[in-house]
Amino acid sequence: MKLRLEKQPLEWIDRSQSLTFKIEGESIPAFKGDVISSALWAKGLKVMGRSFKYHRRRGLLSLANHDINALFQSVDYPNIRGDVVSAEDGLSLTAVNTFGNLTRDAGSLVESIAKFLPVGFYYRAFYSPKFLFPKWESLIRHMAGLGKVDTNWTEERKHKRYHYCDVAVIGAGPAGMSAAIEAAKNGVDVCLIDENPFIGGSLDYQYVNESSLESVRDNLNQTIEEMPNITVISSAYVAGYYGDKWLAVNTQSGLIKLSALSVVVATGVFEQPAVFRNNDLPGVMNASAAQRLIARYGVAPCGEAVILTSNPEGYRAALDLRKAGIQVLAVLDTGRPSHDWYEQVSDLGIPVYKEIQSIEAHGKKQLHAVTFQVNGLSHTLDCDGLLMSVGWAPAGAPLYQAGGKFSYDEKVQQLLPKTLPQGVFACGRINGVFDIYDQFKDGKQTGLNAAEYALNQTLSPCDVLKSPTPHSHSYPIWDHPKGKAFVDFDEDVQLKDLKGAIAQGFDNIELMKRFSTIGMGPSQGKHSNMNGIRILAKLTGKSIDQTGSTTARPMFHPTPVSHLGGMRFRPERQTALHHLHVGSQAKFMEAGNWLRPEYYQSDLNRQACIEAEVLAVRESAGLIDVSTLGKMEVFGPDAANLMDRLYTMTMSNMKVGASRYAVMVDDTGVIIDDGVAVRYSENHFYVTTTTSSSDSAYRLMQKKIVEWGLDATVLNRTGQLAAMNLAGPNSRKILAQLTDLDLSNEAFPYLAMRQTQVLGFDATLIRVGFVGELGYEIHLNASDAVPVWQALMAEGAEFGIQPFGVEAQRLLRLEKGHIIVGQDTDGLMNPFEAGMPWSVHLKKPFFIGKPSLAKLKSLQKRKLVGFELLVEPSNGDSDESPLESNLIIESGDIAGRVTSVAWSPNLDKTIGLADVTMEHVELDKLIHIKLTSGALIEAKVVPLPFYDPDGKRQRPEELLEGDVA
Amino acid sequence: MKFIDCPPIGRRALSEFVYGGLVKHEPDHENVSESVWAEHVFYRHSHPQIQKEWWYHRPTGMWFFFERDTLTDVIHHVSVATKGYANEA
Amino acid sequence: MPLRLLKYAWKSPEEELRFFPQEKPLEKEYDVVIIGGGGHGMACAYYLAKEHGITNVAVLEQGYIGGGNTGRNTTIVRSNYLTSEGVKFYDESLKLFDDLSEDFDLNIFYSTRGHYTMAHTDSAMRTMRWRAEVNKHHGIDSEVVDVETIQKDIPYMDVECNGQHPVMGALYHAPGSVARHDAVAWGYARGAQMRGVEIHQKTQVTDIKTASGKVVGVETNRGFIKAKKVISMVAGSSPRITNMLDIKTPIEVFPLQSCVTEPVKPFMNTIVVSGSLHVYVSQSSRGELVMGASVDPAELHSTRSTLDFVEGLTDQMMDLFPFTSRLKIMRQWAGMSDITPDFAPIMGKTQIDGFYLDSGWGTWGFKATPISGKTMAYTVATDTTHELIKPFSLDRFERFNLVGEKGAASVGH
Ligand SMILES: Cc1cc2nc3c(=O)[nH]c(=O)nc-3n(C[C@H](O)[C@H](O)[C@H](O)COP(=O)(O)OP(=O)(O)OC[C@H]3O[C@@H](n4cnc5c(N)ncnc54)[C@H](O)[C@@H]3O)c2cc1C
Repeated sequence: MKLRLEKQPLEWIDRSQSLTFKIEGESIPAFKGDVISSALWAKGLKVMGRSFKYHRRRGLLSLANHDINALFQSVDYPNIRGDVVSAEDGLSLTAVNTFGNLTRDAGSLVESIAKFLPVGFYYRAFYSPKFLFPKWESLIRHMAGLGKVDTNWTEERKHKRYHYCDVAVIGAGPAGMSAAIEAAKNGVDVCLIDENPFIGGSLDYQYVNESSLESVRDNLNQTIEEMPNITVISSAYVAGYYGDKWLAVNTQSGLIKLSALSVVVATGVFEQPAVFRNNDLPGVMNASAAQRLIARYGVAPCGEAVILTSNPEGYRAALDLRKAGIQVLAVLDTGRPSHDWYEQVSDLGIPVYKEIQSIEAHGKKQLHAVTFQVNGLSHTLDCDGLLMSVGWAPAGAPLYQAGGKFSYDEKVQQLLPKTLPQGVFACGRINGVFDIYDQFKDGKQTGLNAAEYALNQTLSPCDVLKSPTPHSHSYPIWDHPKGKAFVDFDEDVQLKDLKGAIAQGFDNIELMKRFSTIGMGPSQGKHSNMNGIRILAKLTGKSIDQTGSTTARPMFHPTPVSHLGGMRFRPERQTALHHLHVGSQAKFMEAGNWLRPEYYQSDLNRQACIEAEVLAVRESAGLIDVSTLGKMEVFGPDAANLMDRLYTMTMSNMKVGASRYAVMVDDTGVIIDDGVAVRYSENHFYVTTTTSSSDSAYRLMQKKIVEWGLDATVLNRTGQLAAMNLAGPNSRKILAQLTDLDLSNEAFPYLAMRQTQVLGFDATLIRVGFVGELGYEIHLNASDAVPVWQALMAEGAEFGIQPFGVEAQRLLRLEKGHIIVGQDTDGLMNPFEAGMPWSVHLKKPFFIGKPSLAKLKSLQKRKLVGFELLVEPSNGDSDESPLESNLIIESGDIAGRVTSVAWSPNLDKTIGLADVTMEHVELDKLIHIKLTSGALIEAKVVPLPFYDPDGKRQRPEELLEGDVA
Repeated sequence: MKFIDCPPIGRRALSEFVYGGLVKHEPDHENVSESVWAEHVFYRHSHPQIQKEWWYHRPTGMWFFFERDTLTDVIHHVSVATKGYANEA
Repeated sequence: MPLRLLKYAWKSPEEELRFFPQEKPLEKEYDVVIIGGGGHGMACAYYLAKEHGITNVAVLEQGYIGGGNTGRNTTIVRSNYLTSEGVKFYDESLKLFDDLSEDFDLNIFYSTRGHYTMAHTDSAMRTMRWRAEVNKHHGIDSEVVDVETIQKDIPYMDVECNGQHPVMGALYHAPGSVARHDAVAWGYARGAQMRGVEIHQKTQVTDIKTASGKVVGVETNRGFIKAKKVISMVAGSSPRITNMLDIKTPIEVFPLQSCVTEPVKPFMNTIVVSGSLHVYVSQSSRGELVMGASVDPAELHSTRSTLDFVEGLTDQMMDLFPFTSRLKIMRQWAGMSDITPDFAPIMGKTQIDGFYLDSGWGTWGFKATPISGKTMAYTVATDTTHELIKPFSLDRFERFNLVGEKGAASVGH
């Protein structure tokens, strides 16, 4: 291993465990604890990726997940980030987005035509002539994108966890560790979160060789380990700060949703590259990347290094390199240094060039030399490493997302938090605090504040500890006539691109971003936004604060869909009778969350099965499970008043023991629900809702009780009760076997309700007519439903009783002209339009939507009518049969639509309901249905119901006055 | 996620609640003019403001009033929905 | 390589023609003031200048051009609406879109991909057929397709949806497209400005002044401007503007969120919408999957993001496209949607003389950018409501004459 160093004091690798993985077929040795990038670098493979647009060779830049130079593909995953993903035995990788491979990438031809591709070039071409655009587009799409998706990948879903703490500390560097300890000492529960596998942060790569800190480090680590009220969550990052201190913490095993009372943001700073010609050559990297490489993985960043710096940290890096045995040829300082580390560097005899004026890197495949100017003189140094230490940008995402505001501090030359929301705190370098001892202090005072906030105590005052001297260059940007000075490495955005964008008027930070795409790549500007802002500010002559910044939105790092989506949870509801339906070969369909039998399968085809069920109901008896209906009990002194106010019909004059159709509209008069209401006693009603609106209707009822101040209670019994409808001419005979109740017409007439026992179980019986035959709806406890169903089927056997499903019921009710809310009605239909003017009792003093209906009554523009086809389509030819939603076309205009249609075996013709404009509602009028094929067929408007117009079958021996359902 | 301190039930996650719209007084049905009614049903000033809203707490089935700032999403006041609110002047 | 690019090789950035002018002082008076520099505002300015010769126009934008919903939307352009009014209106818009790149001399990446709206229930199937029939009647390319057809075109979609709520069919709309949203705003802005319109960014309208029921001008953070005609084209800020004039509307503002994955090599060429699963997705030319859902549950004038949104969206996404579980969400954001009760816009004149409203664009207004600019320009220039927007007047609610677009909605875009 070429660049592997001797063991480093705090390294993360375990040299006793070797492993091997492959890049584009080449074997790469590594140690446990290595990331992909460190292993590649150790082997001397410095070209780790190809850039997005020009396919330039790219090496290490941040080694901190602030860039995507090293991005790989495995058979299982796209876009694997080499800087943070562990090297694993047997892993086999290729680089993403190459046309060839890392060494030979045909995509790099793009660079040879780069001058024809100025910023935003794609806006300038490819659109004319218009017909060629799709060709160009497919070429562009071919070049676009990073990793490849294999659409055969199986679904992965990870568990989510919830966690609560008093104080969440994000970032476990010197400040974050100190904050966590101090908060914990004050008795609160602390979570300390860090994206690295080990806590320590910069303390463990920037201060490894500061022996004075050894005991401090040990102390911090030990305290954190020992304190029971500190939970360390490592290898985890805060993907987003959401609302009231609610953090999405992404770990390798899934998402933790963490709720805290106060939050400390100690996320530190991202090192920013300098911008100069060829600053992207492999070998040019951030100084902190070099330090991480050495300290964590024991790998040398290079053999001979030059360091470009504007701050003390560059000198610290020089010292660290020297300590690791790497030659430091020179330190190039943009200013005039005066600090301790500078003295130490000078003492070692490392040449320091001060106030350098420009810099440029050379090399074809990787860095070979650096040229720079001092005092107007040009110097060139051959080297294979150029370390950049020119400044920092705050890792401020959680603060921005929490609503914090930043402002540029000219002293530190950094954006610093200016105002923070209550209970959100910042400390350490993000706060402009650079002295290591000040970082401990800042952490400590902030940790105390966070604890105090969580405990509802007054906050102790804090010292301002921010650095008196700058740690960032105010403009670390050196132009070159030949360009290739990269600002955003993800997107291959160069200085000249930004200049071009600004010159064209995209001189607002957001517009510049959108036009040039700076910051839009996967690292979301972590290494580029600050330089972008500096460039824009400079070129427009504005201050950094006037220039502003783009918004730091979630995710902090791209976060797996499998983690965010979590485990799949979809409720599926089965009625109490479900297994009986299964036993009867039901074909199930989904109705909201419920499963309902669509029909029961036999040897016959679907249509024949349904027709058989229909015939059984018409000729003898059928039984359907209607348990999915919403079932509400309403009681209390104001129950009748409530019912009157909720429904369009008067309910208060209903007799005890009677039932009535119940339709509900909203404030605007639109039908939202229907069902059947019964009256148990003076102050006790029971009402059903449609399957899909049971929850919303229940909520509305509860709300209205409160709003109107009524003394009434509503109980949602949907899940507790089962319901079935026994229908058909023989239903009375069958039911009579199971109950002592007098079922005679006189004793139990049509639309009456009786509370009784069926098979010894308490039940409510309602004589309903939805399907148009003599019939009884039986409502009873879900636990009693199975024996009753079985008994009815057994007693009905001699009559040929059939269970019937939703489809048969749809046809049966259509023959009776009964609507289905949501099918025959739409989002705007009122009861007049639905052909139910009788259901609106405008004489009532009050009900929901009444004034709207009073107005709509005279504005009626359309109506549901019954129709039948004049000529039946030739048998079985679905092309000639109208379908639901086919349009009614009159004189070339849309005059309505078919809402329900079916061939009725009982009537031997095709019948349907249509929603038509008022010009076409008269009986016997011809209307024209436009088939899906486009052909028009004739139909005639006929009276409703189609079947048994006098209702003799549903109330065989009687003719009742009163309401008709 | 937002958390709400609800008088009788303590600190709850907003995800337990269902938004129920603005708290409004319904005009008297008997004498309401068409325009007043249309205004009640459709027209309003919906610029950012602190407004009183219905919120339903699913686990307990209780309705609450939130006074919520529709600009900042800060909930300034929470109370159990007043019984008979519609009848108040 | 297209010849057009050759000319850029020899140009320095400084020689480039500016898209947008430098900041300059406001005039004291304009013939027309347009509030809002989104796509709609820019389009209106463009057509006022181009088609009506009205160029003494100022577009006032509080932030930057296209920074509102125009720059946040998921850019689905389609005309397969449910009502005749809707279909005719949006179809005109699509026709305009088709020529925009050439009109602007700027590529807006108008990319026709085909648009599927998946139906998972039979009631959804009925709605799809309804839409298809209305569309076909108006000559729009739109049809109901069965599962086999879907499977052939999108073989990588799990039509079984993990065993629950399987896809039963879809509405297919071949002209369904996406476009580069910013470029649409920029193109209109540049075109308007070339014809003499002034665009003022960072200029916020803080009040609208009237005298005897007529508009006389606007108050801004940069002072008062006289104008007899003022058009509000501010989408999610509409209630704030109408409030200045004490005009009540049925608009309520809800956040609408969206997110993208990290870029991957393009593999998805169609636009897929599932109303029942509340997701829609397309893949951009950068390789990102661009995804969205329905609006947030409660009114809010804010563009904050929520975790609930990405959690829900990714969960449902995996039902349709299981392999996307291995992609990563890169960024999420939100816009403010101005929602109307009937999911149709509110456009045209108002009770205040000289004040025109273009609002109620909710989750669907990007596709209307060209046509609303054009019809509003006509309405303002001639002071006669354009035929296409008559159904969308503010007083339709009072007249209980709503547009029936709601039937097709849930997540449509
Ligand atoms: C996440 C999301 C996804 C969407 N997806 C789609 C889609 O796929 N297809 C589709 O057709 N539509 C979609 N939409 C809707 C669409 O984006 C909008 O309807 C459309 O962009 C509105 O354009 P506009 O120009 O009217 O408004 P905007 O682009 O919002 O512009 C209004 C401008 O007015 C400015 N402004 C506001 N107040 C003032 C003031 N007082 N003074 C000065 N300036 C002011 C704002 O800053 C803003 O720039 C989506 C919306 C969102 C939020």
